[in-house]
Formats: sequence, C-alpha cells, structure tokens
Amino acid sequence: MREPAAGQGGPASQRYFEDVEPGQDLAEVAFPLTVYRLVMAAGSTRDFNSIHHNSEYARATGAPDMYANTSFLLGMWERAVRDWIGCAGTIRAIRGFRMRQFNLVGDTTYVRGRVVSAGLQDGAGVVVLEVRSENSAGVTVGPGQVEVTLPLRAAGDGRVTFG
Amino acid sequence: MTAQPPPAPDTDWRRAWDPMVAAVGQDFSDGTVRYGADAVTASDIRRYQEPLEFDCPLHHDPHAARAAGYPRVTLPYTAALSWSIPAMWSPGEPPLFDDPARDAQPARTPINNSDPGLGPRTTGFFATGIDMDFVRPVLAGERVGRRGMRLLACTPKETSVGRGAFLTWESDLVDEHGEAVARMRVGTYAYDPHPGASGA
Repeated sequence: MREPAAGQGGPASQRYFEDVEPGQDLAEVAFPLTVYRLVMAAGSTRDFNSIHHNSEYARATGAPDMYANTSFLLGMWERAVRDWIGCAGTIRAIRGFRMRQFNLVGDTTYVRGRVVSAGLQDGAGVVVLEVRSENSAGVTVGPGQVEVTLPLRAAGDGRVTFG
Repeated sequence: MTAQPPPAPDTDWRRAWDPMVAAVGQDFSDGTVRYGADAVTASDIRRYQEPLEFDCPLHHDPHAARAAGYPRVTLPYTAALSWSIPAMWSPGEPPLFDDPARDAQPARTPINNSDPGLGPRTTGFFATGIDMDFVRPVLAGERVGRRGMRLLACTPKETSVGRGAFLTWESDLVDEHGEAVARMRVGTYAYDPHPGASGA
C-alpha cells in the first residue's frame, strides 16, 4: 500500500491523522549520489570532513570511496517524512538513526518508510514511522523511528501552535 | 626448531581508551553555550534544501509558514545541528591552510574530533548514528548553539576500517536565550585506520 506524497504545499494535499493506518508506506525518495551532489551537501551542512568529498582521502581512512555525511542523510529522512506529513505536520523525534553501511558516491540512496502506529496523545495525532535508507548494498541507515504529528481533520485547518 | 610463545595480545590500543571509559557520565563541556557561526538566513535554508531537492514551503514561503502557525520561515528540523557548528575561521585568527599538499587538512576544524578529550588522538573519525528529540523548529533569524557534551558511552572496538572506540555524546541545541530547541545523542567512531588502508 503506497501513498502519494502529501507535502507539496497546498492544504488540499495535507495529510490528516484520520487518514492514517499502520502499514501504510511512505513514498520512496531516491537520492543519486554524485560527486557534485556530495560537494553541495558538504557545503550546505558545513560538514567539510574530507571523507565526504575526497575519494583519495576517504580511501586512506579505510572507506571504499567518499560517502554521504550524517547531516545530509538526516536531511534525506526529513525530506521523505515532510513529503508525507505536509506543512501542518510536525516532527517530534528521530530515533535509531544508525549508520550500517557507507552511502557511497556513484550509488543511489533510497529513503523508504511505513507507518508503525498512530494514536491520540493529549489531543495530538501522533504517528510513528519506521524509516530506513537503502542502496545497492542493502540497508545503510536504520531502520529507525520518526515520531510525527498530523493535524486532526475534526480540529479545523491544520494550523499548528508555535512557541 | 624451537617453539616460540604466542605473541602477546596487542591490547595497547585498547588500554589507551581506558580514561575515556572511566569518564562515561562526565560532561566534557565548560558549561557555556558554543554558538554556531551565524544566524539562520533564508539563503542558508535554500542551500540546505538544494542538494536534498527539499520542496516544503515552510522553509521558503513566509505566507505558507504563517499559515502553518510560524512567524517566519523555518529551518528544517535536522539542519539545526549544522547551524550549531562554529566558524572554521574568523578575522584575526591564524591561517587554516598553510600546506599545499593535495589532501592536507586545515589547521583547525570544529568537526573531525579535533579535541579527543581524554582519549587518544586518532586520524579516522565518522558519525555512527544520532537520536534527536525536537522541541520546536528553528526560525530564520535565530542562532543555534550547543550546550553540554556529556559522554554517555565509550566502547573500544576493532572494526574493518581500524582500531578505535565507539563514543556516544549528549548535547542540547539551544536558541539565543538558552532555551532548548532539540536534544541530541550523537554516536561517533574515532579510530586509526589499519596500516595500508586503501578502502579496496
């Protein structure tokens, strides 16, 4: 059971708590990892460790080649989760984000996930997602859990309270 | 031919981590908040989104952010870690790059385990995992700092890439008022690569 992405902005695409059931899949997101992209990611995350943008240096540290940095990989999970929860969703926690294998240049990292549980907590619609990253070698990160909230259709327009 | 005794176990590298193992539970910070180099700007957020192709209006459209209940565009939750990283170089500081060798490293860096604490200095270092509990997203215009650096675990271990230790650190990410925006537990592996490592 694969759901369309819901995070592309408009209220019409907003996912609501009432629409969620355990077992639903998140839309898969693919991240082809080129040198170009890894260099952009190193700059954008300010993780300039040479293992993430310099093949020779990475090999000297025992890795097969340069590989994606942690913040970039975290961002991949957030992108995939945000696509699914929409603008009115919030992210409460990321747990079990464990690096299993290198996310190497020249491969594609896919982020995949599914709904583990959904329930009301203090009036909030809380959903726990199992999320993992995979490439041609198998699971590279996780599987971990991302705890999110979704607006309640019965509660109105999906605004969240800040502060 | 005389029988030779088996070689002594090579455990010196493991013993070098004993002070860190004994320090589990200790906060290695001086108690002050170490702030990132700059406040979050809209262009910073855009650069974070670009390699992720991260199209969420909360992060680039002020109207969408306000419609969702935020006063300004927000930084993606996971980016808060990056904005807590101090500057690589600031005016008045000595040069970072004083060696023209192709793979020479900067003289200083706020990442890469440049301060190993009580542990041995290693040449290899990478993150192994992270857990984050978010209080709220960071807004454009805010600064992010890191408070505390408590060692939660230290496990020496030899792996396929070298000999070193798995370390787990806990810190809070805070705003300019010292209020927590997230708590994180970061796992790292600090190690010396096996001799002749080529990654092949």
